[in-house]
Amino acid sequence: MNNCFVDQFRKQTFRVVMLVLFLMYLPVGVFGSFSNKKEGKSEGSKKELTGDVKRGQKIFFGLAELGEGAPVCANCHNTTEIDSLNWYPSSYEIGSKFKKKGLMAFKKAVLSPSTPTMKKVHAKLTLTDQDVTDVKAYLDQVAVDGLTPKKPVVKNALLMISLTIIIIIALVDAFFTWKVKFKIIHLVVILLAVAGQVKLVSHAAIALGRSKDYSPDQPIKFSHKVHANQNQIDCLYCHPSAEYGKNAGIPSVNVCMNCHILVAEGQISGKYEIDKVKAAYTNKKPIEWIRVHNLPDHVYFNHSQHVGAGKLDCTECHGDVKDMHLIKQVEDLSMGWCINCHRTKEVRFTDNKYYGDYKQLHEDLKSGKIKKVTVEDIGGTDCMKCHY
Amino acid sequence: MKKYWKSPEELKYGLNLNQEEEFEMDHKNAVIDLFEKDIPEKTTSRRNFLKLMGFSITAASVVASCKRPVQKAIPYLIKPEEVTPGNALYYASTYFDGTEYGSILVKSRDGRPIKIEGNKLSGISAGKTSARVQASVLSLYDEARYKGPMISGVESDWDKVDAEIITKLAAIRKKGGKIALLTGTVISPSTIKVIESFRESYPGTEWIQYDPVSFAGMLIANKKSFGLQQIPNYRFDRADLIVSFSADFLGTWLIPVPFTKDYAKNRKLDNGKRNMSKHIQFESVLTVTGSSADKRIPVKLSEEKIIVANIYNLLAKKAGASLVKVPKSKVNVHALVKELEAHKGKSLVVSGANDVETQLLVNRINYFLKNYGKTIDFNKPLNIRKGLDADMENLISEIENGKIDGIVFYNVNPLYNYSDKDRFENSLDKVSLQVSLSTSPDETSLMVDYNCPDHHYLESWNDAEPVKGSFSLAQPVTHPLFNTRQAQDSLLKWSGNDLKYHDLLQQNWEEKLFQLQDRESDSKKFWIRSLQDGVFTVSPSGGTENSPEWIFNNDFSEISSVSEGLELVLYETVALGDGRNANNPWLQELPDPVSKACWDNYLNVSPAFAEKNELQNEDVVEIAGLKVPVFIQPGQAEGTVSLALGYGRDNTGKVANKTGVNAWPLVTVKDETRQYSIGEVKVSKTGKKHTLALTQTHHSMEGRPIVRETSLEEYLENPAAGNESHAEAEKNKVSLYKDVKFDGHHWGMAIDLNSCTSCGACIIACQAENNIPVIGKKEVRKRRIMHWIRIDRYYSEDPEQPMVLNQPVMCQHCDNAPCENVCPVSATMHSNEGLNQVAYNRCIGTKYCINNCPYRVRRFNWYKYVENDKFDYNQNSDLGRLVLNPDVVVRERGVVEKCTFCVQRIQEKKLNAKLENRPLKDGEIEPACVQTCPSDALVFGDLSDPDSKVSRMFKSERNYHLLEDLHTLPSVGYLTKVRNVEKTHGEDKKDVGHA
Repeated sequence: MNNCFVDQFRKQTFRVVMLVLFLMYLPVGVFGSFSNKKEGKSEGSKKELTGDVKRGQKIFFGLAELGEGAPVCANCHNTTEIDSLNWYPSSYEIGSKFKKKGLMAFKKAVLSPSTPTMKKVHAKLTLTDQDVTDVKAYLDQVAVDGLTPKKPVVKNALLMISLTIIIIIALVDAFFTWKVKFKIIHLVVILLAVAGQVKLVSHAAIALGRSKDYSPDQPIKFSHKVHANQNQIDCLYCHPSAEYGKNAGIPSVNVCMNCHILVAEGQISGKYEIDKVKAAYTNKKPIEWIRVHNLPDHVYFNHSQHVGAGKLDCTECHGDVKDMHLIKQVEDLSMGWCINCHRTKEVRFTDNKYYGDYKQLHEDLKSGKIKKVTVEDIGGTDCMKCHY
Repeated sequence: MKKYWKSPEELKYGLNLNQEEEFEMDHKNAVIDLFEKDIPEKTTSRRNFLKLMGFSITAASVVASCKRPVQKAIPYLIKPEEVTPGNALYYASTYFDGTEYGSILVKSRDGRPIKIEGNKLSGISAGKTSARVQASVLSLYDEARYKGPMISGVESDWDKVDAEIITKLAAIRKKGGKIALLTGTVISPSTIKVIESFRESYPGTEWIQYDPVSFAGMLIANKKSFGLQQIPNYRFDRADLIVSFSADFLGTWLIPVPFTKDYAKNRKLDNGKRNMSKHIQFESVLTVTGSSADKRIPVKLSEEKIIVANIYNLLAKKAGASLVKVPKSKVNVHALVKELEAHKGKSLVVSGANDVETQLLVNRINYFLKNYGKTIDFNKPLNIRKGLDADMENLISEIENGKIDGIVFYNVNPLYNYSDKDRFENSLDKVSLQVSLSTSPDETSLMVDYNCPDHHYLESWNDAEPVKGSFSLAQPVTHPLFNTRQAQDSLLKWSGNDLKYHDLLQQNWEEKLFQLQDRESDSKKFWIRSLQDGVFTVSPSGGTENSPEWIFNNDFSEISSVSEGLELVLYETVALGDGRNANNPWLQELPDPVSKACWDNYLNVSPAFAEKNELQNEDVVEIAGLKVPVFIQPGQAEGTVSLALGYGRDNTGKVANKTGVNAWPLVTVKDETRQYSIGEVKVSKTGKKHTLALTQTHHSMEGRPIVRETSLEEYLENPAAGNESHAEAEKNKVSLYKDVKFDGHHWGMAIDLNSCTSCGACIIACQAENNIPVIGKKEVRKRRIMHWIRIDRYYSEDPEQPMVLNQPVMCQHCDNAPCENVCPVSATMHSNEGLNQVAYNRCIGTKYCINNCPYRVRRFNWYKYVENDKFDYNQNSDLGRLVLNPDVVVRERGVVEKCTFCVQRIQEKKLNAKLENRPLKDGEIEPACVQTCPSDALVFGDLSDPDSKVSRMFKSERNYHLLEDLHTLPSVGYLTKVRNVEKTHGEDKKDVGHA
C-alpha cells in the first residue's frame, strides 16, 4: 500500500517537474523560432535590396545626417501604434505602399513630392541614393513587422498590488511587529484596502465586454470632423438607412466617390488618404472598416425605430461626432444605459397616428393625469422589445 | 363525456408511463456529460462536477482576459439601389419539384434566401404553402449538393463535359440512333420549348415523362370518357357532399394546398354561416384527409372498386344505363347514393386509385350527378401530372433491346423509385451516353457517366403553368452557390442553340403570353410586372364552364370479389412524399400528421391485427422481403397493413441515408398502370426491435376536456353545443390578483378546429422562421423535440374505426401565466402587449417554468445544437447555417425557449406603421404559422380592437380556452370542432357503415 503510494507520489512529482521544465523552455523555444524567422526574412530582403536596414532606421529617426534644418521622418510618420489621429501616413503605411514599387518611385515621392504640404516639409531633405535605399530597406522591414505595439497600461494592476501590500503590512503589524498599538487602525486599513480592491475588480468586471471609448485605427484616416463639421455634410447623406433601415450602414464606396471624384486632395491629409478611396473604387475592392459600435448578437437594435420613428438626434447616442477626427464610442451601450433612456424619453405620442391605439394613455394625457408618455409607458422596457 | 385518447396503449392501460421511466435516468444524467461520450450509462458524480467547475472557472478567466476580437464592417463597393442592409426583400417565384406546386415569395436578407412565404396574388395557392414548400429553402443549403459537373464521378469542367456530350450526341444523330429524355412532369411552357428545340437538333429524341406516384389511370380514364387526356380541377369549395376513395386530397393528392384552402372554406361556420360540406372518406390507411372527414369508413383498397361499382350500379339503374357485374359490397351504399342524388351538381366523388376502370366508374358517377362543369372543372385542367406508366415500361424494354443510345435524366430518379430498379440498372449499361441533370446526388445520378448538375430552384429562371391559363414565373434569388448550370441551359447548349434560357423565357413571355392579356400595352412592362407579381392569369374568357361530352361506351368488365388475404398498401407521407426531399432534416423530423412519428417509415397495423399476431410497437417484422418495424395505427382497415414510400434512400446525403426502408420495389404494374398495393402478403416476426421516434405520447394532457366537438345538428340548435363548460368557467372566474389591463395592443390567436387538417405546414414555417434546431431521432425519442408549435392528435370511439381530432398547440401566452411566477431569475415575464416573453440570456435553465406550464409548450435546449458534431444536421455547417433568420437569436445550451407569437414580425410591422405614420391594420401581422396555414385555421390579431377578426372569433359561442378552469387566461382561443353528422353522442353509424 505504502510503496504504491510512494510510487504514485514520485510519478506525480516527476510529472510536475517535467511540466515546469517544459513551461520554462516554451517561451525560449517560441521566441527563438520567432527571432530566427525575423533574421531569415531580413536576410532575404537584404539580398534583394542593397540597403542597410540599421542605417535606414537611424536616418528615419534623425540619428544620421539628413541635411540642415531637415525634419526627422519619425516626427511625422509614426513607428509605434498610437491612439490619436496622425494625419501623416505611418511608417508602416509608407512601407506597405512602396514595398512592391521600385526604389525610383520611392525616391521620387520623397525628394520631389507633388502635394504642397510635402513640398514644404520635404524641401530641405538632402539624401543620397544610398540614404534613400537604406530608408527604403528599413521601411520594407517595417511593412513586414508592422508598427511597434503600444505598451499596456498597468495602472490598475499597480494599484491592486500596492493595496495587497498594504493589507499584508497591516496583517504583519497586527500579529507580529505591533508597531501600531490600536488594533482598530489595522482593521480600518485592511477594510479600506479590501474595499478598494473590490471596487477595482467590480469596475473591471462590469466593463468586461463593453467597449466605451473604443476608437480603433481605421484603414483610411477618415475624419468625421472634416466631413460633418467643416464641410457640413448631414449625417444622413452618408448613413441614409439610419432613417428607414435596421442598420445605419457604412456608406458604400460609390457614395464616397460622389464627392471624391472631384475632391482629390484634402486640406490636412493631402492626396494620400483620398487615393485609398479611389484605389478601392478602381480596383473594385471594398474598404474593410473596423466596426466601432457593436452590440452583442442577442440584442436586436433597429436604427429606423430610433431615428425614423423616434426622431432622435444622432448625437444622443453617438456623441459629438462632428468634433471627432477619429470616430469613438462615447457611450458604453450597456443595457442600463438603454433602459435609462427608455424610462425618461418622451414618445412622439400625439404626432404619430400609430399611437392612436393607446386610448387610455391618450385620455390620461388629455385629463392632465400624466404629463408625458415615456417609452417605458408603452412597454419600452419589456424584454422582448430588444431580445428575441 | 366521450373518451379521447392518443394511443392504443393509453386507451388500454391508461397513461403510457413505460417511456417515462426509460428516460428518467437520462434526464438526470444529461446535466453533466461534458467529458463523457457514452452519456446514458454514466451517472453524474462529484468528480465530474468538480471537473466541470474547474473547467468553467479556468475558461471564464481565460475568456475574461482576452481582448474582444476586432470586427470588420465591409460596405458594398457599389450598393444596389433596392438593398438596405438589415432589411428583408421579397421576390416572387415558383416552386415545383415535379410533384408539388406553390407560388411563393422568397424572403431574402442581405442576398441570401431565408424563408418561403406564400404569394397572395396567386389564384391557385393564394398565399398558402405546404410543409414541403416551406422546407425547400433548406435544400438550397444542402451540403450534399453537386458542386460542379462530373465525368464518371470525377470532377470536371463544363467545357469538357459539353464537348464530350455534344460529340456523343452528334454521333448518335449520325447513325440515326435514339435518345431518351426522361423527365418528371414538366409544367413549364418555356422548358417545353427547350425540349422541343433539343428534339429538333436530335430528331431521334424520345421524351418520356415519368411520375413515380402516377395518375396514369385517371389520365387514360378521362381520355376514354371525354377524349381529354387531362386531369380536371376539383372544386372542393363548391361541393356540399364530398365522397373520396383513398384520395388524400388534403395531404398528398395532386395539389393539396389549394384543395385544403377550398375544402376549409366550405367548412367554416363564421359570419353566421349555417351550412358546411359533408365529407365521407373510404380508405385503408388513416390519412390527413380521412382524419378530417365527417365519416371515415376503413375498407380494403381493393374493395373500393367494388363499392364504387355498387354506387355506379344504383345510379345507372335509375338512369337506365348498362350495369357492371360486381359482387355486393360489404358497405351498404343505398343511403349514400340517396344522399349523392340529393346533391346533384353539388357533390364530388374522387378516387385516388391508379386504375382505369375505377376512374371510369367514378367519372360516370360524377357524370350521372351532373358534377362536371360545377365541382369538376375541365376548362382549367391541372397540368401537374402527365406521365403515362406504359411509356416508362416501353422505354425499359427499348433499352433492354439496345434501341436507346443515349439517355438524359432530368428531375427523375428511377433507380430509386422505379419498381424493378435492378432491371433498369442492368439494362442501363447498354446505353452509351448517360447524362443526369440532378442537383444533388441520388441513386440514378451516381450511376451515370455525366453529371451536369442543375441549379437549385432558388437559383434558376423558370416558369410554370400548373393549371391551364394560370402562369407563374420563377426567378433566381441568389447567385449560384456552386459551379452548377441550369438544366435548360445545358439542353440548349447541347442543341447548339446560343440562346440563354433566361432570354428564351423572356421572349416566350413577351411574345406568346403577352398576347393573352390586355392589362399592359407594352410587352416589356408586361414582363416586368409578371416578374414582380410572380403570377399571371389569363383573363377569363367569360364563357360558362361546360360539362364535357361523355363518349365512352360504358363497356365495363366484370369485377371479381376481393380475396381474403392480407393486403399491403403503399402510401405517401405528407412530409416526404415520394422521397425526393428525403435529405431535408426539417421534413425528416416533422412528426407525421397521423402517427406522430418521425425519422422512419413503419408498417401500420390495426390494433386488432396486432393483438391477434401478438405484435407490439417497434417489433421488426418481415413482409414481402422487407424488414420493417411495426406501428399500431388505429383506423388501419381490417385485413390491411400499410407502409410509406419515400424512405430508405442510398448515398443521397447524411440525413436521408439509411432512414427507413425503401418500399418502391413493392410497386407493381397491372393493366398499364402502376399499383400501390399488393395482396396476399404474409407478416412474420423476426424477434428484433427497431426503435421508433414516436412523439404521440409526448405532451399528453392527461385526459382532460381539451378538444371539444359537436355535430352540425346540435350546433344549429345551440351554437355553444359541446362547449358548455366554457360558460361555467367564465362564471367561476374569480381572482385574488388584479385584473390585467392592456392599453394599446393585446395580441391573441384564435384557432378554428373545424379548419385545421394537421398538415404540418405551420410546424415547418415556425422552424424556418425561428431557427429551431433539428435534434435527431435519438433525442426526439427522449421527448425533447424542439418544435414551438405541435399538432396534438386525439382519437375517440372505436380503435378500429376512430374519429380523429387535431389541435395545434403553441404557447398560450396566458395573461395569468403559471410559468412566469416560478422563474427564480425573472427570465420569463409578461409584456404590456400580452406576450409571455423569455429573455434567453437571463435564463439559467432551472426548468421550473417547464414543470409549471400546464400546456407543455416550453422547450429546453438540452445541448448546444449549433456547431455540434453530435447533431450533424443543417446547423452544423457554415452552409446550412445560412438559412438562419438573423432577427432571431440562436439559443444556447441550457436555456428554455418557446413560441413568441413571432415577436420579430410584430415588431417589424409595428415599426412599419410608425414610419408610415398610420395605425396598424387588422391582419397585417402574421406569425409564420398563420401566414402559411392553407386552411386559415389560425387567425392572429389584436384583442384590444373589438372589430378585429380574432376578437370576433373570441366572441363566438364556440370559443373556449385550454384548461380554462385553471384561470390562466390564455390569449389563444379554440373554436369547437363541428362535424357534419346528425349527432355525435348518439348512434349514427347506420347510414353508411358495415352492413
